[in-house]
Amino acid sequence: MYEINCEQPQIMHIDLNSAFATTEQQAQPSLRGRPIGVTNRISKHCCVIAASYEAKALGIKVGMRFDEAKAICADFIMLETDPPKYHYVYQKLAAIMKDYSPNIQMKSIDEGIIDFHGTLGTIHKRPLRDIGMEIKQRMRYEVGKWMKVNIGIGPNRFLAKQAASLHKPDGLDVIDHTNLINIYKSLKLTDLTGIASYYEARLNAANIFTPLEFLRASPDTLRRFVFHSVIGDDWHQRLRGYEVDHMPTHLGNVGRQYVLDKPSADDNFLLPRFHYLCETTGKKLRYNNVDARGMLVWVHFQTGDNWAQRKMFKSTFYTNQEVYRRALYLLNQRPKHMIIQSFGLTCYMLMPSTRSQMSLLDSTNREEWLTEAMDEINERYGTFMIHTASTLEGKKIIKQKIPFGGTRYFELLLKRA
Amino acid sequence: MDYEHLLNERVEVVTIYRTSVDVSQICYPAKMKYRGQVIDFTELGLRHPTSKGTRMIHVFDMSDGVNDYRLEFDAEGLTWTLAAIREGHHVRD
Repeated sequence: MYEINCEQPQIMHIDLNSAFATTEQQAQPSLRGRPIGVTNRISKHCCVIAASYEAKALGIKVGMRFDEAKAICADFIMLETDPPKYHYVYQKLAAIMKDYSPNIQMKSIDEGIIDFHGTLGTIHKRPLRDIGMEIKQRMRYEVGKWMKVNIGIGPNRFLAKQAASLHKPDGLDVIDHTNLINIYKSLKLTDLTGIASYYEARLNAANIFTPLEFLRASPDTLRRFVFHSVIGDDWHQRLRGYEVDHMPTHLGNVGRQYVLDKPSADDNFLLPRFHYLCETTGKKLRYNNVDARGMLVWVHFQTGDNWAQRKMFKSTFYTNQEVYRRALYLLNQRPKHMIIQSFGLTCYMLMPSTRSQMSLLDSTNREEWLTEAMDEINERYGTFMIHTASTLEGKKIIKQKIPFGGTRYFELLLKRA
Repeated sequence: MDYEHLLNERVEVVTIYRTSVDVSQICYPAKMKYRGQVIDFTELGLRHPTSKGTRMIHVFDMSDGVNDYRLEFDAEGLTWTLAAIREGHHVRD
């Protein structure tokens, strides 16, 4: 009736529970069983980027401010992030996953996917549920006994992730054609991965109020009346267990942003921070081995107004000096009397690097050689061991965020830690 | 209350090396002499590598059953540093 994918589930989704908080509790036994949170830089108004299960049970959520969390629980403990620690756990998880299939994909620093297609009868000859239990045990044995892992098994990535979210913490569930309908019956629309309040409202407007009604909806309804694009067709396939999410991603832009420690309109205060953002963006360009042509600088003012300026340049750029020069050119066009709350820059129109090509202009070559020399020194002695003098204050204040979305910059971040 | 004391003090450490366990437990500090007091460790929380420039540092998060200790072993200089102590009131298992 529903044309559900009857394939034997071959996708395993592995998710570390409250990864940063659990890792801190593993490292520091005195924190176990206590409500803790992790943030990038502790201040009164910093927000929780990861909360332990004990904190979540008290109603402390990710995104909540430190003072709000303290108001809920006076014993709440906030810790600053420790990227090398999380990277170690990430590497251990990835190494364990690689033991079961050559086809693994880390979705972020705390979750990954093992694709077992093609390994049945060669690498593994056991039910995936057994392998899931073994992975849980190995995480406890090889990392630490406090580590808990959610595992979901399904015929596609969506259902595997859905299965991993059914019984947190430490769950192991399988969703396949035999139990899919019953699972959907037990869920709300917003329990589905990828459906938040905005999509829920769209679905409701098309008289779809439950996952089962979502499953019953025709591809035409989803495409024309709900999602207004081929995304509707994707959802029609995804809900039935067919794979539509195995897409390669391409680097589209790189950039940095920063919420100011003190709102200001003063260039003496703003520029060291802005220069630092430019240097770290330049480093990201070189790390990805790309040059950029486009630059966008945006500003969010204290009044709530936004301002942005973009420009496509004739020549490509990748050195710190070039990034700063072009970004500053755009930033200087802002209304200077207005107090800035946050700002950022994005380099786009990325293309493979041509930096091995020498320029006819000696000044350009000198800039490139200086950047290369600085990178080499920083590579050897630690990132930002040597840097432009005017970024000194920015370097002291701005802390690199933990990349939640992907693992692309994790190695770069670790050099800075 | 919960306190973390940042120390960065050189300490004397007795280390155990084992063969028949997982690599994460192959080497760990068993006891430490800090300001004349000997502290016996009861649990290795986590051992992870990091770097300071090109120097490899092994960080050992240890517990004596009450407090947590962050010990750093400099693999180049062969020195042990007590980086921090976190005071705990109890340990749940």
